[in-house]
Amino acid sequence: MSGAPGQELVRFDRVALTFPGGSGRSPVEVIRELDLDVQASEFVAIIGPSGCGKSTLLLLLAGYLAPSSGQVRFRGKPISGPGRERMMVFQQPALFPWLTTAENVAYGLKLKANRGDGRNVKETVAAMLQLVQLEGFARHYPSDLSGGMRQRLEIARALAVDPQVLLMGEPLAALDALTRRTMQREVLHIWEKTRKTILFVTHDIDEAVVMADRVVVMAQRPTFVLEIEEVRLPRPRLREDPEVGKLARRLSTLLE
Amino acid sequence: MRAAVLPRSAVRLIGPLTVLVTWELAARFDVINTLLLPPPSKALADLMVLISSGYLWKALYASLFRVVCGFALAVTVGVMLGVAIARIRLINDFFDPLVELLRPISPLALFPLAILWFGIGDGSKIFVIALAASFPVILNTFAGARSIDANLIRASRSLGATEFEIFSGIVLPASLPYIFTGVRLAWGISLIVIIAAEMVGATVGIGYMVLEAQQTFRTAACADGCCLGTERRRTD
Repeated sequence: MSGAPGQELVRFDRVALTFPGGSGRSPVEVIRELDLDVQASEFVAIIGPSGCGKSTLLLLLAGYLAPSSGQVRFRGKPISGPGRERMMVFQQPALFPWLTTAENVAYGLKLKANRGDGRNVKETVAAMLQLVQLEGFARHYPSDLSGGMRQRLEIARALAVDPQVLLMGEPLAALDALTRRTMQREVLHIWEKTRKTILFVTHDIDEAVVMADRVVVMAQRPTFVLEIEEVRLPRPRLREDPEVGKLARRLSTLLE
Repeated sequence: MRAAVLPRSAVRLIGPLTVLVTWELAARFDVINTLLLPPPSKALADLMVLISSGYLWKALYASLFRVVCGFALAVTVGVMLGVAIARIRLINDFFDPLVELLRPISPLALFPLAILWFGIGDGSKIFVIALAASFPVILNTFAGARSIDANLIRASRSLGATEFEIFSGIVLPASLPYIFTGVRLAWGISLIVIIAAEMVGATVGIGYMVLEAQQTFRTAACADGCCLGTERRRTD
């Protein structure tokens, strides 16, 4: 269950994060005070200067980090650690290199099966591979796949456990320009089909405007939300569209 | 008519055969002292005697038994300790200084003590082999378990893996290439250590056989023992 659209799914409530210093290093204040709400089924892009802590935001939501103060809530409950309902898609795909494409997708399902919830592993794997158009590569290993295919496989592995939100940390940054545009369409297609909530970190303003319902602009470190821009343009949007360009230019002045 | 071309494997035999034939001829024509370096034919004849008398099998069995026991111990303990040192802070703090402290000690230097502790039989050999061979396994497993992409572990944790599932499903397979490197080194070290240990103190075994042959000036048997003590490994 992914929650009805429009229902609040994620809330950052006065979140602050400081990495403690130690052994000669001074403490680093990464997030000063951050408030952000994300609705179910929403596509939110997060942009900001490089190193500002926008990826740290996702680590907090994934449960890999805990805030120094404030709270990150998921469906009203404070997050206490990683969980299947919040899946991360990493910039450099973190695929299991000794498992085939199908086995990578099945990994999370098999863990579920170990706990007595072993329904439809095969069917789900097949459906996920079809969704990301890797059906012909089930027996290939990640090393046999191209960068774009690996990224799609990582998305499939995350979606297989039926999360409620996908956390995408610059997932397309390592791809070449052409693959990148294809992948933008792919991610949107997957989003439209599954209606999963997506938080999508990028340093490409055009990408954010083309893809997202809302664009969150983050400040320099120690970061906070500088502005939230709702993108009301109809999809599919093109980078070349003057309306997209106008909005992107406005956002980029905010970042300068 | 086409020139006959030798297969590659046959070509590769030419080098060793040349050496053997030269060696044999040098012995036959008294170019070398056969008492110190017996010809291959004499070594082969002595080998036949060693085999038919059953002495060789007894020695080989004794040595292999010790090597396999010590090696198996080293791999089992080494892999577990290597992973634990790499992944668990408390165990790292306890064992890492110990490993660094003990590693430079030649395991053969401990052999006289091992004889006092475990006797002249199998125990003392298995102990030094296990000790000497465990270090490459520990260190390589450690390196492997440390080099795992943190995101692999994060991903599996998000997918619902418990600590044990992360260990068995992620840490172990991800470290496997490193573990194999350690295991191969450990096997080589085991074979070196057993020969040396049996030369220092043993009543049976290949190392003992070589030493005994040397002391009774049966150099041919000596040479046979040396060949048997080599580490058989393909270098591919």
